[in-house]
Amino acid sequence: MADAHAHDATHEDHDHKPHGWRRWVFATNHKDIGTMYLIFACTMFFIGGAMAMVIRLELFKPGMQWVDPQFFNSMTTMHALVMIFGAVMPAWTGLANWMIPMQVGAPDMALPRLNNFSFWILPFAFTLLLSSLFVPGGAPAGGWTMYPPLVLQNGASFPMLIFAVHMMGASSILGAINVVVTIMNMRAPGMTLLRMPLFVWTWLITAYLLIAVMPVLAGAVTMLLTDHFFGTTFFTAAGGGDPVMFQHIFWFFGHPEVYILILPAFGIISEIIPTFSRKPLFGYEAMVYAVASIAFLSFIVWAHHMFTVGMPLAAQLFFMLSTMLIAVPTGVKVFNWTATMWKGSLSFEPPMLFALAFLFLFTIGGFSGLMLGIVPADYQYQDTYFVVAHFHYVLVPGAVFAIMAGVYYWLPKWTGKMYDQALAKWHFWLSTIFVNVLFFPQHFLGLAGMPRRIPDYAVQFTDWNMVSSIGGFGFGLAQLLFPYVIWKCVRSGTPVGNRAWEGAHGLEWELSSPPPYHSWTEAPSDALIARGASH
Amino acid sequence: MAAVLTSDAERARRRRVRNSAILWALVAAGFYLSFIVLSLVRAAK
Repeated sequence: MADAHAHDATHEDHDHKPHGWRRWVFATNHKDIGTMYLIFACTMFFIGGAMAMVIRLELFKPGMQWVDPQFFNSMTTMHALVMIFGAVMPAWTGLANWMIPMQVGAPDMALPRLNNFSFWILPFAFTLLLSSLFVPGGAPAGGWTMYPPLVLQNGASFPMLIFAVHMMGASSILGAINVVVTIMNMRAPGMTLLRMPLFVWTWLITAYLLIAVMPVLAGAVTMLLTDHFFGTTFFTAAGGGDPVMFQHIFWFFGHPEVYILILPAFGIISEIIPTFSRKPLFGYEAMVYAVASIAFLSFIVWAHHMFTVGMPLAAQLFFMLSTMLIAVPTGVKVFNWTATMWKGSLSFEPPMLFALAFLFLFTIGGFSGLMLGIVPADYQYQDTYFVVAHFHYVLVPGAVFAIMAGVYYWLPKWTGKMYDQALAKWHFWLSTIFVNVLFFPQHFLGLAGMPRRIPDYAVQFTDWNMVSSIGGFGFGLAQLLFPYVIWKCVRSGTPVGNRAWEGAHGLEWELSSPPPYHSWTEAPSDALIARGASH
Repeated sequence: MAAVLTSDAERARRRRVRNSAILWALVAAGFYLSFIVLSLVRAAK
């Protein structure tokens, strides 16, 4: 290992690192591309967040206050598209770019130019999507699910939406191919599949999901495009088409998409909890099989999103029971994380705090998901704020908290500096308090019958909407701390050693902090891999 | 340190990388086209 470091230290001028803008525009280095993905995701997080502020501002009181209904609907639609495709997915790809080569003992991703291409598609896709706010008729307003016939009524923004979604899909597919090819071909000798860190495992399975379902979304929106412009009637009832078929195709993509957003989170939590419990992960292999099971099951539950559309009783029962089955591998994971902490020597640094919040709050989202999966109950909950509360518990204190946990965990490795942990803990506590103030009351609103995607509501929903909006403003403001902590760390953090966290295991911690430009120019030794793989 | 890969091994790995990337791209294209074809077949009924 010492040899490797000496090698890196004496070869810094062999990096062939371009300088200035060329370094970023022509980037082929996995760390540079990872950084660009993360900055892009953070930017989109704040743009999507600003849209959420507009939504919560309008819903602060009943009646129309600030925006017209069309614009409100555009905000809900664009908020979802921006957060899912612009913030969470690119953040995961950024983390994958940074960490996978370092964790598997590779110098870089397998296909660096493809990596550059898949990143640079995204700014164009989102510029196109966001510019639809300024075209006649306004931005897409039919919901992120793009159900026909409603979506076909969009004006000039419709082709912009379809083209943007195609580009996002292409970017995701190319990124996923790169991840699969890297993991399957670039692992260091001795890095067997069952020695891989859980983050690499979860990303491998996520990448398979992406390759399988993003083309399905692309196919669906291509058919929407031909229905709109070329006279086909795939989803137009008047021409013999079937709008419900779109819903089936969309959710065949949409449910695995939920796991695309959350599986890498499972990987990160499985890295962080052992580190700050100073114990190996409990049941490593069970965790791998649980993730694989969840991914498999994600393909056979899609119609639980559309129970009220109408389907045979047997289909309802099948989709209800298959949905219930997901609780089994998910329960295995929650049990194993808890068992990892059992009798551990716990400490509560910011990554661990976010991981613990994930554990509690994601589980709340999981439980409400089970409630929604029960057919007769779903007839009451469908299209209410209960659904909004459910998926936000899964995606915000679930996926977003896990991304923040990952950034706080690996930031010292990336920069070679420790951030202001006190400030990061402020970020954590404010986020955790306000995220619950924001989303928990939405369960009550939904159970009381408040429909989702409406700019106005009956007066009996006022109190909890006010509470929710206050939580939203607080959560939004608290997030400003996140880029500040990172900026402060980069500017003036205190230097750290290779192993920034005392209990950390894995190949990435054997590299210098910050790591060399090309991660593993020589394959790590088997002993090093075995030490890192002490799951 | 583990032995540095020989150039033959490196060439073989590059070939594997290229072939598997093409394979997964074809799988993705297959999913894209098959769902459109599926919809066409269903619409034709």
